[in-house]
Amino acid sequence: MTEAMLRGQKGLASVKDLPVRQDGPPPGGFPPVRYARRIANSGPSGLAVVLFSSVVIGWGMYQVGQGNLHRRTLKAEKIAARQAILPLIQAEEDARFVREKKKFMEEEAKIMANVPGWKVGENVYNSRRWMPPSTGKIRAEC
Amino acid sequence: MGVEETSPLQERPAPITTSAVLMAASKHIASKCGAQNRAFLDCKRNDPDPERCLRQGQDVTGCVISLLKELNNKCPKAMDAYSKCMDYWTNEFELCRKEQQEFEEACPL
Repeated sequence: MTEAMLRGQKGLASVKDLPVRQDGPPPGGFPPVRYARRIANSGPSGLAVVLFSSVVIGWGMYQVGQGNLHRRTLKAEKIAARQAILPLIQAEEDARFVREKKKFMEEEAKIMANVPGWKVGENVYNSRRWMPPSTGKIRAEC
Repeated sequence: MGVEETSPLQERPAPITTSAVLMAASKHIASKCGAQNRAFLDCKRNDPDPERCLRQGQDVTGCVISLLKELNNKCPKAMDAYSKCMDYWTNEFELCRKEQQEFEEACPL
């Protein structure tokens, strides 16, 4: 009743004669919605990608191999240097050891002078092979 | 290289044999004292008893010490620089290539 009064429609008998107000599409309809795939078919081919990546990987592996060769030479150099120095160090240690052992034997002779049947510096093993002392260093110099 | 002579009155002694000095001179030791090293190692392989190889050991020690003394008198600065570099980089050869080259130019193998 109120709508009829507000709009001043002529010939309006009831509410049912009012023009329909609803949300609807614009005239001509909505524009179409794209839902189809659009993946471009351009760019490198599969073969090109495979070739390029194998080139890159191959180059990388070659570089790894070169690096390993270089590291091998470095290791060999280090080993050679240690081989050159080893005899000096061993010789010095031998001389020191013999000095200390002599002192030790003299001590032992002094201590065991009155014990019958004691051989100073007797080998505790039955074989003639040289065995390093098993009870730690012989009076290591501090 | 600069002038590296010693004055005739003062001969430098052999440097104190730290690991850096020995590693620095290792190539010289290998080439100049190789025979003594080999003799000592052969003696050791035969009999590891220290008392058996004292003479060869003395040969080795004498050769190396006199070699170090000679290097110290011929090219003291280069040897000192190389030893210090080795000392700093804990005997890594690859990190001291420049000093090694200068040392081997001043005192050839």
